[in-house]
Amino acid sequence: MTATDHSAPVPVRTVPSTVESTVDGTGRRRFSWRRPAATSLTRLAWSLAVLAVVLVMLAPVLGFLLVAISPRAFGQGDAWFTLAPLASALSGSTLQALLNTAITGVCAAVIATAIGTALALLFGRTQVPLAGFWRLALWALLLAPSYLEALGWTRLAERDGVLAALSGTDITWLRQLVMGPAGVVWVLASRGVPFAFLAVSGVVRGLGRDYEDAARVHGAGRWSRLRITIGMLAPGLWSALAIVFAEAISDYGVGATLAAGANFPIATYALAGAVTNFPADYPGAAAIGWLLMVLVLFALLAQRMATRGRSYAVLSGRSRPCRPVPLRGGRRVLALGALCVFFLLALGVPAFGTVSASLLGNFGSADASSFTLQAYQQVFERSDLLGPVLLSLRLALITATIAVAAGALIARVLARGARARRGGAASLLDLLMLGAVALPAIVLGAGYIFTYNLPAVTALGIQLYGTLTLLVIGLLAGALPQASRLLMGSFAQVQDSLPAAARVHGAGAARAWGTTILPLLSGSLLWAWLLTFADRLLELPLASMLYPPGQEPLAVAVTTLIAGYDFAGGTAVLVVACLGILAVIGAALVLFRLLAPAGWRRWEQR
Amino acid sequence: MNGSSGVAVKVSGVVKRFGTHTALDTVSLTAEAGEFLVLLGPSGSGKSTLLRVLAGIERADEGRVMLGDTLVAEGNLHVPPEKRGLGMVFQDYALWPHLTVADNVAYPLRRKRSGGDVAEKAGGALEKVGLSGYGKRYPGELSGGEQQRVALARALVGRPSLLLFDEPLSNLDADLRERLRVEISTLARESGATVVYITHDQSEAFALADMIGVLERGRLVQFDRPETVYLSPADPFVARFTGLAADLPGVVVRLDGEFAVLDGCGRRVRARSMGGLAAGDAARLLVRPAATRIVRGGDEPAEPGDGVVDGVVDGVVPGTIVDVAYRGRGYDHVVTISDGVLTGVFDERAWPRGSAVRVVLDPQGCIATGDVTNVM
Repeated sequence: MTATDHSAPVPVRTVPSTVESTVDGTGRRRFSWRRPAATSLTRLAWSLAVLAVVLVMLAPVLGFLLVAISPRAFGQGDAWFTLAPLASALSGSTLQALLNTAITGVCAAVIATAIGTALALLFGRTQVPLAGFWRLALWALLLAPSYLEALGWTRLAERDGVLAALSGTDITWLRQLVMGPAGVVWVLASRGVPFAFLAVSGVVRGLGRDYEDAARVHGAGRWSRLRITIGMLAPGLWSALAIVFAEAISDYGVGATLAAGANFPIATYALAGAVTNFPADYPGAAAIGWLLMVLVLFALLAQRMATRGRSYAVLSGRSRPCRPVPLRGGRRVLALGALCVFFLLALGVPAFGTVSASLLGNFGSADASSFTLQAYQQVFERSDLLGPVLLSLRLALITATIAVAAGALIARVLARGARARRGGAASLLDLLMLGAVALPAIVLGAGYIFTYNLPAVTALGIQLYGTLTLLVIGLLAGALPQASRLLMGSFAQVQDSLPAAARVHGAGAARAWGTTILPLLSGSLLWAWLLTFADRLLELPLASMLYPPGQEPLAVAVTTLIAGYDFAGGTAVLVVACLGILAVIGAALVLFRLLAPAGWRRWEQR
Repeated sequence: MNGSSGVAVKVSGVVKRFGTHTALDTVSLTAEAGEFLVLLGPSGSGKSTLLRVLAGIERADEGRVMLGDTLVAEGNLHVPPEKRGLGMVFQDYALWPHLTVADNVAYPLRRKRSGGDVAEKAGGALEKVGLSGYGKRYPGELSGGEQQRVALARALVGRPSLLLFDEPLSNLDADLRERLRVEISTLARESGATVVYITHDQSEAFALADMIGVLERGRLVQFDRPETVYLSPADPFVARFTGLAADLPGVVVRLDGEFAVLDGCGRRVRARSMGGLAAGDAARLLVRPAATRIVRGGDEPAEPGDGVVDGVVDGVVPGTIVDVAYRGRGYDHVVTISDGVLTGVFDERAWPRGSAVRVVLDPQGCIATGDVTNVM
């Protein structure tokens, strides 16, 4: 202990931790906080708990994936080892579905990255009029599930859809465009834009203006400057491409709605079909799962290869922050026009399609005078319409709360591991999380159905199949990686010395955390909770595979209603749910503003 | 541009506003071709903005900028940076992290299509800054000092006629700063280019400059040779910013040519007058550290005629040592006197804390100014 010459020295016994000084591989002296050694039992208990969670959540997926090459091990066929399911997945209609998935994924990734980069540069470098509004729209786009956008477009352009009902004529070219590959690519791409925007704008923010000024001063014209900037954005661009590609090929919502309606098969839909059809073809589904994951891994590897071996370390803290320049005249008009067109196509049209469909009666009542609120009235009167909303609300509250709490723990371990450059548990956890992000929800769901339905598992007394508990576990497994990723950045920014200082001055572990970390991260935690909450409330793939009979979550109810031609009912339920989410977000933000101490809000994120 | 010779820089009446804040308020200055000009000022004084106006990164709202015979900024005319024949070292170096060191240095050559072997020229520039063999590395793999040298090579390689430095040494530690200052001085002068260099460090400014421009809140308050700035600061701000041992109250007794005689520190003191003073005025006595000298213990009787010969003027101030700091060549003392504190009082021997001493003030390094206590 230092500080012994302090006027009021801290009694050593009240400080439960010791400062250890270690010398790492670089020979530099490093100080870190370690708990006293007596807690190895606690550590064992923690490890067991983590192991149990991993077993419950991820082991089923492993079993499901293994069935592709060893059907007999799970009682699904004759062969102990075979590549036949893989071979059949790579032929005929599933091959077509995989190719469609890969091609639409690449197209969506390229389009989303281009738009996302343009938006990131526009928002980071210029004073866009109505910037707050556009940012809100981006968040809305991030939260809106793909099936919502797909449904909106479909309801608008269908033969008996809203446009046909309003105009009285069938707009064939639009229908053919929407209900085909172009529509699928557009929905996936526009859904990917917020991801691409976030990936690139982080880099844009870190760049500052000096690099571009340096190019100008040394003789670069407009295009040379753009080339320099794009070159420096490369890490952001590659991760945007990888993220959007992974998101696009894992997407189930478009496959189940727009693509299914357009007879444009894609892999996730084919996989779900193989599991839910009778008789279920688990080896075939698992083979598709393998191939999907290979595609995701391929994207991640490409990103790694592209950025490896080059240091993009930008000298942070020294850069002159970029002062956004005002947009004038033609450029202003151009920027506003482009923003309007994009958000109209990505958000406005689908929202209009959904809302107007909920206001028109079913079976395309042909004139505009037939707008009615009847469907909304029914949502609150019919238990089969309101029930799913309330069920999903419950599920989302539970899963978001647990996911953010556990995600915070994981993020803390990861952040500390990254800081200490320690191998072992932290890097293993990191790998697991990366794997879980790469795992399409549909594969997760299929894995749960398969494993918890195995006679051997039920014989062990594990009766999870067909219960709400399993759905909650699935939703949690899907949300955990994202939640911890969301929080990781914030945790990485908090210096170890902050809680350390609290403890040196007499606070216990819990108090130190509550008085130093919690205030700093309260904004991030709140946002992570809200995002997870909204995402889980509208979740489709896991819900559709794991819901117990008679207890349909929201997304399942909506797609079922629409498939049963109750367009008004289905879209009205969706609109009510979205309004509910907005109300929760608004209430949470207002409460935070009113109740949180002023110091907490200083660190609030956008 | 192939001129290895510098251009004259002429700035007239430049105004730059950011919203309601005026960053540059009618600044005018002229630098001869090949001159090393240092702009000195605290943060927020506008020196960085002035540099960026010269570079063309910022547009002036009013006034004109001429580089040699070329008008580069006036009214709606604005020659973009890439057309001004510049080299510049940024405060954060701004080395492009995705390009190798060699590509960073070769960049200006490629843009100017100056012909010849680009790689060879870039290699030559790297050799000049002592980094030959570093070409294939990336900026992220270099130390701060090495990055700074790369930035210097990049600025020099295109043989610019105007070299701009934006606080290039502020991110380095003291030892490296001194070495790189010498390198910058030598290489920049060797290139023949006109240099505009900004810093908030007065010792750096005095060490480098042919001419110093001192900026305060967007105004150029003094533009002179370093010696003049030090001996005859234009106003109290310049005096304070360029280093003082003390800033003491006093009353003007009489004026004596360029000097004023003050009652202050309990004694009579002679000081250069900044002007605008009359007998009976309240004044401030500003003392340069170099103008102080400890003569002997305060308990010994003062000899008549000690200090400055003037009959009435004493110039010897009694005080007590409160702190002493070892500086290698000797010791810096902090001395309390009747009206305040003298800092940085140098002596080759150490006076123990608490000892009574007398400090002689040299009128050449003392400045008398009107009592306006609102500056800094």
